[in-house]
Amino acid sequence: MGATTETFYSVIRRQGITRRSFHKFCSLTATSLGLGPLASARIANALETKPRTPVIWMHGLECTCCSESFIRSAHPLVKDVVLSMISLDYDDTIMAAAGQQAEEILEETRAKYKGQYILAVEGNPPLNEGGMFCIDGGKPFVEKLKVMAEDAMAIIAWGACASWGCVQAAKPNPTQATPIDKVITNKPIIKVPGCPPIAEVMTGVVTFITTFGKLPELDRQGRPKMFYSQRIHDKCYRRPHFDAGQFVEEWDDEAARKGYCLYKMGCKGPTTYNACSTVRWNGGVSFPIQSGHGCIGCSEDGFWDKGSFYDRLTTIKQFGIERNADQVGMVAAGTVGAAVAAHAAVTAVKRLATKRDDANAKQDH
Amino acid sequence: MTRITVGPFNRVEGDLEVRLDIDSGRVARAEVTAPLYRGFEQILEGRPPLDALVIAPRICGICSVSQSIAAAAALRQAMGVVAAPNGVLATNIAHAAENAADHLTHFYIFFMPDFAREAYASHPWHGAAAERFTATKGSAAREALPARARLLEIMGVIAGKWPHSLAFQPGGTTRAIELGERVRLNAIAAAFRGFLERVVFADKLEHVLALSTPDELDRWRDGRGGDFAQFLRIADALDLARLGPGPGLLMSFGAYHDADGARFRAGLRSSTGTIDALPSDQITEDVSHAWMRETSLDPAESRTEPDADKTDAYSWCKAPRLAGEPVEVGAMARQAVHGQALITALLADSGSNVRNRVIARLIETAQLAVSIEGWIKALRLNEPFCETSGEAADGNYVGLVEAARGSLGHWLAVRSGRIARYQIIAPTSWNFSPRDAAGIAGPLEQALVGTEVGDAGARAVSIQHVVRSFDPCMVCTAH
Repeated sequence: MGATTETFYSVIRRQGITRRSFHKFCSLTATSLGLGPLASARIANALETKPRTPVIWMHGLECTCCSESFIRSAHPLVKDVVLSMISLDYDDTIMAAAGQQAEEILEETRAKYKGQYILAVEGNPPLNEGGMFCIDGGKPFVEKLKVMAEDAMAIIAWGACASWGCVQAAKPNPTQATPIDKVITNKPIIKVPGCPPIAEVMTGVVTFITTFGKLPELDRQGRPKMFYSQRIHDKCYRRPHFDAGQFVEEWDDEAARKGYCLYKMGCKGPTTYNACSTVRWNGGVSFPIQSGHGCIGCSEDGFWDKGSFYDRLTTIKQFGIERNADQVGMVAAGTVGAAVAAHAAVTAVKRLATKRDDANAKQDH
Repeated sequence: MTRITVGPFNRVEGDLEVRLDIDSGRVARAEVTAPLYRGFEQILEGRPPLDALVIAPRICGICSVSQSIAAAAALRQAMGVVAAPNGVLATNIAHAAENAADHLTHFYIFFMPDFAREAYASHPWHGAAAERFTATKGSAAREALPARARLLEIMGVIAGKWPHSLAFQPGGTTRAIELGERVRLNAIAAAFRGFLERVVFADKLEHVLALSTPDELDRWRDGRGGDFAQFLRIADALDLARLGPGPGLLMSFGAYHDADGARFRAGLRSSTGTIDALPSDQITEDVSHAWMRETSLDPAESRTEPDADKTDAYSWCKAPRLAGEPVEVGAMARQAVHGQALITALLADSGSNVRNRVIARLIETAQLAVSIEGWIKALRLNEPFCETSGEAADGNYVGLVEAARGSLGHWLAVRSGRIARYQIIAPTSWNFSPRDAAGIAGPLEQALVGTEVGDAGARAVSIQHVVRSFDPCMVCTAH
């Protein structure tokens, strides 16, 4: 593991990465973080001179989808640089050690890098039955989390589970699955929501923190602004069809083949803050809306308990092409037409979403 | 007699603990614990049936397509819809990509790194194995991870996002593949074949799939490069064919249905090698050693009610049984039930064991790479990918599919347009089940008995081989 003065650069050189690749990594990192060309040199300088920041990756109550997303990142050199060189000093999904040996590594890293390491948490602690629903190394996960958090510099809450609770916290939340910030209250926490988060967003966040030794700028909900400041709807390639009132009515209908808007199939793009429509998924290939399915808003708090994900609006008749969006929306929502100028203002969208949820709730119960 | 606990287990998906009684350097008794429970079956109750398509996949971040299509299969019955042939093909392509990716993950990231351990430093093959497979540092992962990521771009084309895709519906898939996308799928399939032929097998896939006896396999292996041949040599040197015998019965629900029927047939293979139709109505789930209250043995009628204070229990996993017997599932079971020549011959020769499980996974990976190419060709781009489905009618339904790790079933009961009950039996629920009321141990618990641990105790690498040979997915197990 080397002395504490070990730099990121010395680690990757030891792993056989060329200097040329290193600079490529720096410049592409700067670009992917939305920083200017000069930032590349700053990143390179930081990585060459500053001690590397160790990352400890822990798993609580979860499904491992965050790790799965992370290891397929198309981020430059992630397979080399982020995965094996920033050094996930402890990650129980991929590391070599097992059992007691692994616990010892964890303890050693905690002591050696006290106050310097990043604690990346995937999943969350269940609090019912004294934490019995997630036992890790003979102890409830919540205890391990508290111990490790105590000496961390900051905490990354990976995914919807760690950030908000996610589907395992859905009614009736059988295990009382609880987001990290309700359990750890005395450390900076950066939330990287999504189920899972986009791989490039995850590597972007890790790279930023390990490069600059601080958290990126966060919004009021604790999410990095660089990736969560826009709605899916704002940058959706189907947006012109929303504006033109052209909607898909059924999976794979003519409108679907033409790539019309999925709003009426229950798409939550208008109320969801994430980078899916810009960064996209699986190496920038696509994202849910591009596959012909609406966004379910998996990066938003409480997405799992807001009524049906599909919200089929069966009363709607076939639309004419180029119908006014307000008219369409008025029928669609079955409420005041003004609310459907959804794309005009966030507040209107929120109001719309709330009303639709209310409507669902009435139908549901 | 000493009792040791192995765990938390790393390099498996999810959390796992194994308690072993050791007598004279051998495992005398094993208890397998799934220490993680989230309550998906409880959460699904009372929701609209289609919500299962969003919630059920989130049981697992690596088998999410399998969970999606099991839910879609049950809903298909409930809605009385037949999926569009294109949708079936597109689903097959995505599902096969997920399963092949899982097999690669297992081989490169989870299983092979154990051979790089210091415990094997005195063996002549160790240097090469350590260079290639050391966890997070070996040269193999740097080739396998990008190849796997590239393969999973298929998910981008067909399903938008993965894990937790939304495109898999009862009537087919939501995305109609266009000409340009078919070209892209072909390119991805070709790249995957290239990786397998260059790195994994060092031979053409057709040659690998033509191997049909242990002797042919031995001859093929000698002098060959590639990671599969390297594994075969290590497996022989360590006699992995003697390690981790299964319980005897092998089961498959059948996988990848298309116009020609199932690519891999459904059925049950006895320990003598006879293959019978699958008696799926004889599947039960016993909770005598799970932290669960008793409701019904029949997954179509039972509910999931946790009871953390139950004294005889030691796992969150229920004990699935087929006609009262524990059953092994997975790629080896799937290939055996299908009658694949090499796997059938290997089973006749040495039975269910650590080596044969790994061989079956890689042989299946080669098959899937070829099948994916065929399914892409079979797509008729101008025809529907998704049929319209109606409301879910009241009744009991079941969706039976094969995930990478074996048989996966979703039992769904709909009442008044809502989910009344939802029961899931996952592959590792079968393989890593606890004991049942009759005291019969689960497949892994049986497979571990007799394993030599020597002086190494909990650190014995033989234990790691046996456990990982099943490729457990613990988050699916207890869900």
